[in-house]
Amino acid sequence: MTTFGAGAMTNSIGEIRAADFLMVIGSNTTEAHPVIAMEMKRAALRGATLVVCDPRRIWLADFADHHLQLAPGTDVWLLNAMARVIIDEGLWDADFVARHTEGFAAVVEAVRDCTPERAEQMTGVPAELIRTVARAYATTEKAGIYYTLGITEHTHGTDNVYALSNLVLLTGHLGKPSAGLNPLRGQNNVQGANDTGASPVFLPGYQRADDAAARARVGAAWGVPVPETPGLNLNQMMKAVAAGGPVRGLFVMGEDILVSEPDVARLEAGVAQLEALVVQDIFLTETAKYADVVLPAACFAEKEGTFTNSERRVQRVRRAVNAPGEARPDWAILAALFERVSGRPAAPGGPAAIYDEMAGLTDKFAGISHARIDAEGGLQWPCPTPDHPGTRYLHADGPARGKALLVGVRPKRNHEMPDDAWPLLLTTGRTLYHYNAGTQTRRVAGVTDKQDGCFVEVCPADAAVLGVGDGDVVRVSTRRGAIEARARVSSRVARGRVWMPFHFAEARANLLTVDAGDAVTGTGAYKVCACRVVRAGG
Amino acid sequence: MKDDGRGETPRTLTVTLDGQPVAAAPGETVLTVARRAGVDIPTLCHDDRLAPTGACRMCLVESSDSRRMVPACRHPVSDGLAVQTDTPDVQRHRRALLALYLADQPGAPTPGSDLERLARRYGVEPGVPAVEAPRAGRPDDANRFIAFRADRCILCARCTRYCDAVAGVAAITLANRGAHTTIATAGDAGLLDTSCELCGGCVDTCPAGALVERSAEAAIDAGAPLEVVRSTCNYCGVGCQIDLHVDRVANAVVRVTSPPPGTTTNDGNLCVKGRFAFGFIDHPDRLTAPLVRGADGALHATDWDTALGRAAELLTGVSARYGPDALGFVSSSRCTNEENYLVQKLARAGFGTNNVHQCAAT
Amino acid sequence: MPDGAPPRTYHHRGDEAGRRRDADQARVLPLFDAHGGLRPGAVRAIQAETGVPAATVHGVGSFYHLIARPDVEARVCEGLSCRMRGADRVLAGLRAEGRAVEGCACLGQCDRAPAVLWAGAEAGHGFEIGTGAEPGSVAAPHLTPSSPDLAIDLAAPDDPTWPALEAARHLGPAGVRVELRAARLRGRGGAGFPAHLKWDAVAAAPPGPRVVVCNADEGEPGTFKDREVLVRRPHRLLEGLAIAAHAVGADRIVIYLRGEFEGPRRALEAAVAQARGAGHLDGLSVEIALGHGAYICGEETALLEALEGRRGMPRHKPPFPTEAGLFGRPTLINNVESLACVPAIVQRGGAWFAGLGRGEASGTKLFSVSGDVARPGVYELPLGVTFGEVLEAAGGVAGGRALGAFSPGGASSGLLPPDAVDVVMDFGPLAERGSMLGSAGVVVLDETRDLLDAALTQARFFRAESCGQCAPCRIGTQVLVRLLERARDGEATAADRDTLERVAWEMDAGSICGLGMAAPLPALHLVRYFPDALRTRGPAEGG
Repeated sequence: MTTFGAGAMTNSIGEIRAADFLMVIGSNTTEAHPVIAMEMKRAALRGATLVVCDPRRIWLADFADHHLQLAPGTDVWLLNAMARVIIDEGLWDADFVARHTEGFAAVVEAVRDCTPERAEQMTGVPAELIRTVARAYATTEKAGIYYTLGITEHTHGTDNVYALSNLVLLTGHLGKPSAGLNPLRGQNNVQGANDTGASPVFLPGYQRADDAAARARVGAAWGVPVPETPGLNLNQMMKAVAAGGPVRGLFVMGEDILVSEPDVARLEAGVAQLEALVVQDIFLTETAKYADVVLPAACFAEKEGTFTNSERRVQRVRRAVNAPGEARPDWAILAALFERVSGRPAAPGGPAAIYDEMAGLTDKFAGISHARIDAEGGLQWPCPTPDHPGTRYLHADGPARGKALLVGVRPKRNHEMPDDAWPLLLTTGRTLYHYNAGTQTRRVAGVTDKQDGCFVEVCPADAAVLGVGDGDVVRVSTRRGAIEARARVSSRVARGRVWMPFHFAEARANLLTVDAGDAVTGTGAYKVCACRVVRAGG
Repeated sequence: MKDDGRGETPRTLTVTLDGQPVAAAPGETVLTVARRAGVDIPTLCHDDRLAPTGACRMCLVESSDSRRMVPACRHPVSDGLAVQTDTPDVQRHRRALLALYLADQPGAPTPGSDLERLARRYGVEPGVPAVEAPRAGRPDDANRFIAFRADRCILCARCTRYCDAVAGVAAITLANRGAHTTIATAGDAGLLDTSCELCGGCVDTCPAGALVERSAEAAIDAGAPLEVVRSTCNYCGVGCQIDLHVDRVANAVVRVTSPPPGTTTNDGNLCVKGRFAFGFIDHPDRLTAPLVRGADGALHATDWDTALGRAAELLTGVSARYGPDALGFVSSSRCTNEENYLVQKLARAGFGTNNVHQCAAT
Repeated sequence: MPDGAPPRTYHHRGDEAGRRRDADQARVLPLFDAHGGLRPGAVRAIQAETGVPAATVHGVGSFYHLIARPDVEARVCEGLSCRMRGADRVLAGLRAEGRAVEGCACLGQCDRAPAVLWAGAEAGHGFEIGTGAEPGSVAAPHLTPSSPDLAIDLAAPDDPTWPALEAARHLGPAGVRVELRAARLRGRGGAGFPAHLKWDAVAAAPPGPRVVVCNADEGEPGTFKDREVLVRRPHRLLEGLAIAAHAVGADRIVIYLRGEFEGPRRALEAAVAQARGAGHLDGLSVEIALGHGAYICGEETALLEALEGRRGMPRHKPPFPTEAGLFGRPTLINNVESLACVPAIVQRGGAWFAGLGRGEASGTKLFSVSGDVARPGVYELPLGVTFGEVLEAAGGVAGGRALGAFSPGGASSGLLPPDAVDVVMDFGPLAERGSMLGSAGVVVLDETRDLLDAALTQARFFRAESCGQCAPCRIGTQVLVRLLERARDGEATAADRDTLERVAWEMDAGSICGLGMAAPLPALHLVRYFPDALRTRGPAEGG
């Protein structure tokens, strides 16, 4: 996210219940962020206008004033049409746009073709409803947008985010409570991993790796130069593995890429050919089964450190029990490995000292330390000095970049669309009861009592055409692979679309997905691919 | 907790609490003002997350605007209101009410519950004979997380109100009436067959030990001391603060709770994963020793020195043969900030490549 | 997985969606009738029709006995008067026949004891009343002969021409309220609250829709006078309601009628149809909502909860219904008898009405008299007469026996001793005796009656009808029954009397509503006025 200067929730979770308008798009909040969904439901029950934009009738839609059931991948149509209504009807904040943004003309140009009527044709959302929602958003003071992977996991995910940030900037819903643009992070420390530089383009604290001054600052602290060659993002890295090169050696920490990455059959063949595969995890994952070396790690309850949540709050992780057997905290393993390859110690003072070293390289985290969190509770960055209270919402004094960029984006076609051979559109996602590759949750019996085993949601009309009944085992296939799952006949999905979760190693939905990624972030396009569904054995 | 954005109103009224003047805001309740002033008023059915009902009667106090005692939790303040929280009648009422609650319990109240704490603190009027609580439970409830012990329920309805107003799930309800009133599901189905999302907020809010975690039921009833460690949930990106309750002897987490409402971002709330999906921690499948692939093609347990040496040798070998950019480092959004920092430092400073990315970049 | 219905936790959010949800919730109880009560499938069906979550629907239905137990064929009244006339034997007899039968709270048929309510063809309603084990065998009650000096005059023919409404229109809303104030009418439902204060409060509410609710959920044990007003003078009641709506600026009238009252329902429906035809109700919406078997819904805020389709648990006051009543709107709630007094007050003047009373008291009052009297019936007498006069009107103690005890105003008034025969039957004097006029449901017990059993009957009634919301009432009523049973069984301990007083104190001090406050009176009166009734039982000497 480059438009406001930093990729994070602009606002705080605690502000959600006071919002008067909430637009939730591409986020199955109840299942993926249950506790944030509680805040949204409370706002809705209080009387806030809740708008849910999702191809599925997700649980949260039951609480919504409006459910915009757009066709998968047509987000830019919808959002541009909203922008066009806001501009046409003079509902935009001219003062904010003039003082804090640049690129207005480009947006006007880009949304010219996106009339609500055209958007209705593309998205399936009635034009009048698009107008209603656009007007309500623009004219409500405390209006926030919340999104998750339904926005970003597309080949044009970055465009989707631009289109959203355009709405925020046009209306000036920024730099005040209960407003802003709020990506909800799917995993406990997505935010922190980005913050600390686990990225090919960013060094710690969002200092660009292609910025020589930033490299010099970090290199000086490390005592070695930071490499100049641009790195590969995850999607590129996985392709470079699947293709048998140029990546020949892989170090994987805490991730089961052979379940979670798209088009996993090709990746699996590439992983098998690697010359070096080192996996560090708490279980022997599908990926670890291919490893040359498996390093047993401590889980979160067995180590010290910090996680940063979606609202930029750095919070402590503390050791409650001892790790089993020889397992060690990841930081200790990494420090030992670093020492082996570099001959220099990496973390003599443990996690608190590692945090201090990282924070010392940045402005955003400079005021944060384990000792302060222990004394005060979690701290929200930016927090530049030890006496700074942290920042509840960003851009109180205008966008961080000086002038925020309005980016004209035009709708793009999905990379893969249903056709006669592959007539249904498949979207994958999460359920409430499981988590990612299921390595943890599928080992908890009380959870598997509620949900154990892959399913695919099919609407009643499609099910009738396919001759599939609720609970029947079906075969879902795409150009890349096939898996079996139980059909769940449900009106939560629309005609022509099916949906399935990706948590189940024995029915890996990612055998089906496309390895296309977003051109900028490399994020995999898990939300759209063409498939067909047939009764298994039938 | 610092200002969390949930808002506050200016205090323009003056109320007298036990003779002391206290500032209050219009619309505030006696309880809110008293708690801020450090005046302790006992409650059972109150939860800051829920609209007050005044049903448990524990918080009755004397108020200058009412002939009868009023429930502090829902009695609005007005300018000049005088409230007495500790008169002989208030004390007598507390003892008598607690005696009634205990008469309606099958045995001693659940150790550590609010009910038990208040009974110890305020005492109980003697002589009240036990009554037979005809409340129905849910004998066929197969869920492994939430135990409902109907005979210990005091019917404060915190659980049902939480389920309605906070979780937004409405899986449970007050059912029947009078002495037969109980907490039920539609058709008395087990929780797994209802709209219940197993968030366990009902357990969290129960003040009587009627709803408890099955994993800790025995420890709770025994009043066994558990060590509590504050940490952060390791599932989604909300960052709920959690308290891990540890049985030191067994080296095991037996229960996870939320810090009290109003103290952390999650405001006392958790979801099914955060509260209940901790069984993986001591699961027998956990890796307990480093593994290295042998000449036979299989993974074999080894010591750390061997494993680290082999890992370094393999990665350095690739770098030596093809250059550092032939290496890729997949970091983890599941791991800590410190660990993610070390992975990118390992890639950049250890091997000299920018090929490092966390698994979930968005 | 949540299947479709968001919870409806909030009351009366002012916006359109909130009003829609209020309306959906209010359909829950009528839909239970349509689905034949709490039967398999009914909850899901009602959820589908209203969007109210299944658990909530179940919770509402299970609260009301007529819904919760739809397969009961016959309900035998266990009120004091019926018990005194052999309700136990009737119940046992029907059980022996293998019928689906149960005991129930007072059916408001004390003059026809022992009363039995038979299920009709219609689920939940369409009942038939009988005396003893024979359906349909009931006699008419004795009444005070018609006279121009009676405010209601049950024995007079009902007047479908509504002359008082015309007079009220002439007076104007404020003029009607002036007459009401002059009449010093105190609410006839039991609490005795000055009626004009409620009317003035609703009239003074901020602009917006207001509602007039008639509380026709007569259920106080020993009381059956509203039943007779509904059957004999429905026009007088409806006319009173129309005048009330005129006086407070309401355009909506809701009559909450006891569900077991089949005869009154038919009479009322016929009168409503007739009045509509005559144009008396032009501009007014009139609904008859049926109760479903819950005494507590006679409490005005529990009644509102029932009308809104919720569990009938009383609300906290404030806010009072006059500020925020039905669906949050300013609401005037009056009892049947109070409203039936209104036409005469308007036509003949508040001063005339006030002058009907004796001494300080104002107006005439309907007394339901049953038990051991020669002529059980409904007597309209000046407020302020003595109990002795009421007894005399009903022909004195039956069989020439001596008075043993009496309950002056329903179960909530407890039991008074024979030496209280001269007590003035008005709100103040009875309160001074630690009793109450209440609904003036007078039950007379002769010298042979077992007073401990009578108190136990009343205590069990309160236990069964406690809504369960607050512990002082829910648990207190159980403890009292337990203590009285111990005395009956000779197991009382010396400390029981102190315990009883302590629990009674807590019920009075700690309960949310009047049910819990009144519930200990029968037991307390036993201690206070009839120590022998306890002492003759078992070794509780010196307690």
